[in-house]
Amino acid sequence: MPTGDYDSKPSWADQVEDEVDEGPLPSPKEVIKGNTKIITEYKEDEDGKKFKIIRTYKIETRKASKAVARRKNWKKFGNSEFDAPGPNVATTTVSDDVFMTFITSKEDLNNQEDEDPMNKLKGQKIVSCRICKGDHWTTRCPYKDTLGPMQKELAEQLGLSTGEKEKVPGAEPEPAQAQQSKTGKYVPPSLRDGASRRGESMQPNRRADDNATIRVTNLSEDTRETDLQELFRPFGSISRIYLAKDKTTGQSKGFAFISFHRREDAARAIAGVSGFGYDHLILNVEWAKPSNS
Amino acid sequence: MKPILLQGHERSITQIKYNREGDLLFTVAKDPIVNVWYSVNGERLGTYTGHTGAVWCVDADWDTRHVLSGSADNSCRLWDCETGKQLALLKTNSAVRTCGFDFGGNIVMFSTDKQMGYQCFVSFFDLRDPSQIDDNEPYMKIPCSESKICSAVWGPLGEFIIVGHENGELNQFSAKSGEVVATAKEHSKQINDIQLSRDLTMFITACKDNTAKLFDSTTLEHQKTFRTERPVNSAALSPIFDHVVLGGGQEAMDVTTTSTRIGKFEARFFHLGFEEEFGRVKGHFGPINSVAFHPDGKSYSSGGEDGYVRIHYFDPQYFEFEFES
Repeated sequence: MPTGDYDSKPSWADQVEDEVDEGPLPSPKEVIKGNTKIITEYKEDEDGKKFKIIRTYKIETRKASKAVARRKNWKKFGNSEFDAPGPNVATTTVSDDVFMTFITSKEDLNNQEDEDPMNKLKGQKIVSCRICKGDHWTTRCPYKDTLGPMQKELAEQLGLSTGEKEKVPGAEPEPAQAQQSKTGKYVPPSLRDGASRRGESMQPNRRADDNATIRVTNLSEDTRETDLQELFRPFGSISRIYLAKDKTTGQSKGFAFISFHRREDAARAIAGVSGFGYDHLILNVEWAKPSNS
Repeated sequence: MKPILLQGHERSITQIKYNREGDLLFTVAKDPIVNVWYSVNGERLGTYTGHTGAVWCVDADWDTRHVLSGSADNSCRLWDCETGKQLALLKTNSAVRTCGFDFGGNIVMFSTDKQMGYQCFVSFFDLRDPSQIDDNEPYMKIPCSESKICSAVWGPLGEFIIVGHENGELNQFSAKSGEVVATAKEHSKQINDIQLSRDLTMFITACKDNTAKLFDSTTLEHQKTFRTERPVNSAALSPIFDHVVLGGGQEAMDVTTTSTRIGKFEARFFHLGFEEEFGRVKGHFGPINSVAFHPDGKSYSSGGEDGYVRIHYFDPQYFEFEFES
């Protein structure tokens, strides 16, 4: 800290003026107090800005063997011949603090590398949406406007009261949908999939198949696209499979997106495969978040 | 810990070595300068200038009077440690890959690359006989036709040298007769580094096949294996604990095509007995090419492809750390 260097100067304004007036920069000062050494240097860069550099050193006295002590007094040579005693800042600097990270078990190690803590949180279902089973509050559901009313209507159609539905938040709306599509019963256009998605097509940046896309996480590393196809084919026709892979190793990163042609197929896939044990891992299947969010 | 960063090289570090007491640290890189530093504060004592090519190896004798360095300019040079003066110039036909003083400091050994139509040789000079240096005529020259030597150290008592080959083979060559005393083939790829333990009874190899292995130095019996996911460039044994530090990372040519996240450029600490990793230290921007423990075991240094040497003084946590498995 620059203390006491300008004791005689009454104010900073004078100081600034003085500095402007001063032609050559003040010569470096060295103060040794006890076991600390303070070196104050002045520098000017290309833009004419002046810098005051203060370095504080701790002087340590160490006991060493004679040979080491003798070597400590050797004269510098080669490219360091003209260096002042002590480390030269051009070649020696103190780097940022680093810490040794201690590893207690292998699992910790892998987790730390593969995912950040946020992803880990996402994997666990803390909250479950009543509408789409996603891990968010029902009111925050991105499908609140689309899926919610549809489910309600479907439930009403099947004679279920909404109150009952509220009581059993875990109940699946999907079986109803599945039934509907399987039996081939006539559905009025107003109740058809997408009927209540008013004006949605006018929204920019939303791909049509985003609505029928599911995200599969906790896949094992050696999962291939063909495995996913096998797994999800029974639920309906698939338009696209995207398996995230490591660029270099080609191994799966543990998650995939499956786009179905129809949303209800996707919903059934979620109901059917979520929590399914696959390759010694328990799969986690949920709606894919819209890509623009 | 706050590492001391040494910026004395313009190109990637090839080897770093402490002298016997550990007060000096010698560093060489793919530029022609040999640097020597005080390890206590990172102050540069000096440079040994004269080489005209990349310097691959460096060694100091037991009383730190002489320094030996081998370079790709087809020469091995002997320096006066205190003044930086060149004492001897030993010309070779190809690049000098490894070099070393025997434990008495009288006999030097160096190996040359298989290059430009020349075979790989290990040469032995006795410094007490000036005619050998004047005539550039070693008292013994061992040809190694099958596979190039990538690393070499003197064995205990200067009776033999231990060399690691490009094909993963380990050999002991007698320093007197030049014959092969023992052989072991535990590695499948080139052995980048060999470092002895403090008592010289065992040594650790660092291999491109992603492992480091511990061997008995007299029998070449394989003892332990330390596995990583990346090629290991250098490995060192702690003089005070049952710890091993490994430095590595993917090859320099692949660095720009992969992200740093998966680069794994940390120095990795393994337990010697359990073969399990217990700690990591980050810091380098590229793979670590050379690691060395201070002879007192309280600090270690690493030199990387990024051209920096970092001296790390361990935090108290390291000394308090108890390995539980």
